[in-house]
Formats: sequence, structure tokens, C-alpha cells
Amino acid sequence: MSEDTNSVSRRSLLKGAAVGGLGLVAGSTLAAGSADAATRLKGSTVRWTTRGGGATGDKIAKAVNDAFTKKTGAKVVAQQVNSDDFQNNFAQIMQGSPDDAFGWMAGYRSNHFGELGLLADLTREINRLKGTLPTAAIKGATSPVSKKPYILPTTYYPWALHYRKSMVKEIGMNPEKIDTWDDFIKLMTLTQKKGLVGYSLGAKGGWEAMGTFDILNARINGYKYHIDLLNGRAKWTDAKTKETFKYFAQLIPFMNENVLDISWDGMRDLLLQKKTGAMMMGSWFANDFKAKSQEDYDDLWVVPFPEINPKWGIDTIDAPLDGISVAANGKNVAGGKALAQFWASPEGITEAIKAGDTNIYVSRSFDTSSYDSFNKQKLAVLGSAKNIMFFLDRDARGDFAGPVVGPAIQSFIKKPSDINKILESVQSQWDALPKN
Amino acid sequence: MKTAATGKKTRSRRTLSKTDRFTLSAFVGIPTLLQILLLWVPALVTIILSFTYWNGIRLSDIRWAGIQNYKTIFFNEPLFYEALKNNGVWLAFFILVATPLGILLAYQVDRGIKGHAFYESIFYLPVVLSLAVIGIIWNFMLQPGGFVQGLMGLDIGNAISIWGNPDINTWVILGVASWRHIGYIMLLYLSGLKSVDPALKEAAAIDGATEWQIFRKIILPTMQPVNIIIVVITLIESLRAFDLVYIIYGSPTIFPLLNLLVFQNFAGQGLSMKGAAYAVILLVLCIVPIITYLRIVFKEDLK
Repeated sequence: MSEDTNSVSRRSLLKGAAVGGLGLVAGSTLAAGSADAATRLKGSTVRWTTRGGGATGDKIAKAVNDAFTKKTGAKVVAQQVNSDDFQNNFAQIMQGSPDDAFGWMAGYRSNHFGELGLLADLTREINRLKGTLPTAAIKGATSPVSKKPYILPTTYYPWALHYRKSMVKEIGMNPEKIDTWDDFIKLMTLTQKKGLVGYSLGAKGGWEAMGTFDILNARINGYKYHIDLLNGRAKWTDAKTKETFKYFAQLIPFMNENVLDISWDGMRDLLLQKKTGAMMMGSWFANDFKAKSQEDYDDLWVVPFPEINPKWGIDTIDAPLDGISVAANGKNVAGGKALAQFWASPEGITEAIKAGDTNIYVSRSFDTSSYDSFNKQKLAVLGSAKNIMFFLDRDARGDFAGPVVGPAIQSFIKKPSDINKILESVQSQWDALPKN
Repeated sequence: MKTAATGKKTRSRRTLSKTDRFTLSAFVGIPTLLQILLLWVPALVTIILSFTYWNGIRLSDIRWAGIQNYKTIFFNEPLFYEALKNNGVWLAFFILVATPLGILLAYQVDRGIKGHAFYESIFYLPVVLSLAVIGIIWNFMLQPGGFVQGLMGLDIGNAISIWGNPDINTWVILGVASWRHIGYIMLLYLSGLKSVDPALKEAAAIDGATEWQIFRKIILPTMQPVNIIIVVITLIESLRAFDLVYIIYGSPTIFPLLNLLVFQNFAGQGLSMKGAAYAVILLVLCIVPIITYLRIVFKEDLK
């Protein structure tokens, strides 16, 4: 613990040398503890980055940040960035002059950069929130290597099968009962018969289709095999992995012709415009349904991806944990930490919900009885799973997921018959990675 | 025991006044210094970096890797060969189609065909736009849900795959890139053509030379300096292609180009050393043909 404090203030001191004493103030603020921190924050400026989310994202950020200003007297300057760009240039942004606090992702993406000293250690903040955060969320936010948290967990969402109830009714099926693989195939077949897209997928960026791969692999080979595969303990050339791609290939005839031309927002639009039967996606896009109209939002539904192998049932789900991180190189690290803590606190959550956030918060303080039916269903979907995956690009190392698996899935969609060659290449690229 | 020639040289150098010498050294020295500092030093560092393992964050993590990065790229990176192919096709298309078209247009405009001012401005228009802007415009038109797809009555669900279709995306991208390149070459060539003495052409015409003969035997040789610039520009434009494709795709995986791979590895993925290795490969690919070409040209000139 004392080592933590030391390393923080040492970093602050170093920064102080660079920016002329500013860091010294931050350092002493930290030492003085939280009560003093609030008074010291007054009049300072904290910079905040919203990662995507459009108008709704800005609205939520404004509500939470304004409440923070009201409470502490610190000014918050917010900006919204394109989520993919921010993600792809993250190391560069963090080494330049980053905003103090920002929405970020748990798993490899925060642990890795935290261990490299680009994200601030949030041990103190997470301890203050301990009363409201479930142990699983704290564990999910803590690096297994350094044992330190570099993110304050706030929301999570299921990657699951989404569809519109009205469309399922129209093809003569019961929207409350899409449970089995056969139901799923029937839903896609009947939708396609109407001249629509049976299963919509985007893979322009490469990552969007990872959700489909994750769930198929977990359903067919189980959670352990999937995580082993992503960490080099199982082989991509294994018959088990090939089996997963056999199922993936079964879905291709139901897909839109322009998989490689659209990204997640194209998938969202397909469902919003009633052009597709089902899609595998993270529920975060529901905010945009709500922004369009309450009617669209009420029509949206989500169920667990159906069982394939009875051995595993539906015991696994991709449920990425999101949260707030603080840049170690920010101008106002103390302010960033205070703002991050506010976002993850019951007060901050209340503000976000009021401003139209439909996300599920991990905080225990959060009252789920007021949930609308879609959010209740999201909880049920999450609850149906025993094993939580974080999504391929957070469960596997960054120099493998994006640069290797992404293009491999794209090549597979371009030419499914090449799968053996593609998987051999993925395996040999894994083998060629520098060992950490 | 100096020869007359060297003696002359030293004498003429001495005739420079103090101010002259100062101005000269300032004008040569400062750019040289900047060149070394901003170009050669980073280039050298990049070359060194390409032989290490480094994630680009903490200098203390750097480790020697020998030629491992190059081995990985050459033997274990399917994207590299796709990028090489795409850059190669790009170069071939520019050399065989876009650049000759630009020259042809310049020649026609210079001859003063009917409405040449109109054509000139039409072809020149895309040149004022940066390739990034051109990418935004064409992406907006051709992507699913875009303007052109909308005109064809296609919504996102049944929009034609253009950027994601490996059979056509190369040609669409090259078409879009040529849209600008042709105008650029036309402009360069036109400015050269204006400086060709019309009397030469008239004289040749009176002697009974055909249009093609005039172009080959008179215009091309007198335009030698401009030709060199155009060849070098075409080479560099094709090999350094980046912005247009980056704007359209955002990532290098569907339509890889060498420069996209340099960027992707440097930014974000924690593979700076591989980005550096790509950059060195690109540097060699750019420099070798250009130096070879220039040497041939200058040798001919000396003759």
C-alpha cells in the first residue's frame, strides 16, 4: 500500500518537474486524502473524453460532469472522440497530452497500459467504492499481473442475440421463445424468405465479427477451451477450432452481402430499419434505439445465443466490463481520479441514468427494480451464464487480436473454403509473436 | 604545384565576399541541419528500431531482436504480401494508365482544343482537394446507405459491396485516386508544355512531321526535366499511398497497403518495431527505383 502511494507521488513529482510545480500540488493533494481533495479541486480544470455515443453520449457526459462541478467546484472540459480511433491510437494519445479521465475498457486493454505506466493506479479509489462494487467487478478491473486496478468498473453489457419482437411475430414465431439452435435457424430462414437479411454481420473493422466467433467457440468447445485458445494453450489448427468455423460457415448464407462494408453502426441501422432478423451484438446500441423512439426501444429484445453442445448449454457469455480510467500523464491526475470516482459512484450513476443511459451498472447501489423490461431481460441474459468472457480483443493480447484474428475472420468471410489455410496462418503468426 | 584548372577554382571561390559566404552557408547550412535533424536522424533511429523488440512505450523495455521482425514479416504475415500486391498494382496502374492519361490531357489542352479551358478546370478541380477529403467524399457516396447506393434504390440491407469486395475494390480505389492524380500530372505537364517554344513545333509541322512524331521527337525530349519529376512523383505517390484508404477503411486489413501497415503497427498495437521494419522496407522500395532511374537519366544527359 505504501509502495503504491510512493509510486504515485513519485510520478507526480516527476511531472511536477515537467509542468512547473503543478504536479507537486497534485501529489500533496493525494497525500492529504479525500476530504482535502475536494477543496483543492475547486477551480481546477479536469479534462474528460467520451468514447463515442453520439448525442446521447454527450448528454450523459454533460449531466454527470455538471453534477461533479456542482459538488466539487472543479470545471470539466469534455470532448467526444471516435471510439475506434481512440482505441487504435491509445498508446500514442496516452503518451501525448491525454485528457485526465475517460471511459475505457477492462481486461487486457487497461491492464496492459496500466502495467506500462500509462494509466493511473486506482487502488485508493476502488477501495473507497468497495461498499458498492461487487467483488467480481473489482476482480475484473484488477490486473492479474500487477494486482492493481487501472479502471473503475461502471457498466457491462451482454453480447447476445438481438432482434425485434414485432418482426419475429410477423413471421409467425414467438419472440419470447427463441431458445434453441433450431429456433434460431428457423428465425433466420423465415426472415430471409421475406427478402430481408437473416443474420446481419459487419466486419469492416475486423473486430465486430469476433463476437460471433467467441460465442460459437464457447458454445461448441466450452469456456475453458476458448480462453486457452486465446492465450496460446490450445491451437488454432485444432479440429475443435475448425468445428467452430464450420458452424460459422453455416451462418454465412443468411448474412448480408456487404459484411465487409459495414461496421457495428451499419448492423444497428439494419435492425433499426427492420431489415434483419437477428444479430449478435453488444447491447450498448440500445441507447440509439431509445434516442430514435420509445416504440423502437420497446420493440427491441435480447436472448442468450442458443445452445449447440449440450455439454456446455448456455453457460458462457461475452460481457465486456467498461469503466473509467485516468491517464497517468494527464495535467490534473488528482482531478481525473476524483472525476473517475464520481462517475463510478452512486451519485454519478444516478445522473447518467437520468440523462438517458440504458446501460447496466455493476454498482450494488444501483436499484434494478426500476429497470425497464429490456434492461431486466439484459440482466436475465447475463444471469443465465456462469462464465464471463470479456470479448476477444480484451481476452487476448493486443498485438494478436486486432492485427491477426481480425483479418483472419475477414478472409474467412471472403472465402470460407480457405479456412484451413487461414487457421494455419493464424497459428504460425501466434507462434511468431515475441514472448512476453 | 597546382594545375591551372584547380588554381582557377580556388581563385573563384575566394572572390566570394564575406556576406556572400555567410548567406550561402546560412542558406545551405540551415536546411541541411534541419534535414539531418528531422529526416536522417529519425530514419536512422527507425532502422535501428526495426532490429529490436519494443512496444513503443518504455525505453527500458527495448530488447535486441536481430532480423526477427523481418523474418516475421516475410514469412508470417499474409497482410504484407497483400499490401505489396496492392502497392504494386497501384504503381502499375498509375504508370500505365493514370500518368499517360494526364500527359495526354495536358497535350490536348495545350493544343487548344475546343473548350480547353473548361476541361482544364474540370480535371484540375480534384487536385485542390487532399486525398483525405477525397476519401471522405467517395466513401460518403459509395458506402452502404451512401448517396450512390441510395440513388440506385439500395438500402443498407441490399447495398452492393464495394469497399469490401476484393474483386472490385482495387479498381474503385484506383479510379478515385486517379481522379486526382490525372489532374495533378496534367497540371505539371501543362506548365512544362507552355515553356516549349512553339516555333519548334511549327518548324516540324512544316517539315511534314505527324502529330505523334512531333510529340515523340520534339516535345518529349525538350520536356526531359518535367518527365523526371513526373516519373518520380508517380513512383512516390503509388508507394506512399495511405490517406485515401485509411479514411475509407480505418484499418489496414481489407485493403492493406505498406504505409497502412507501418501506421497500424506503430499506433496502438504495441508493435513499434514491426512498424519500423515495414517503414524500412518501404524506404528501400522507394529509394532504390528512384536512385536507379535518376542515375540512368543523368548518365544519358552526360553523354
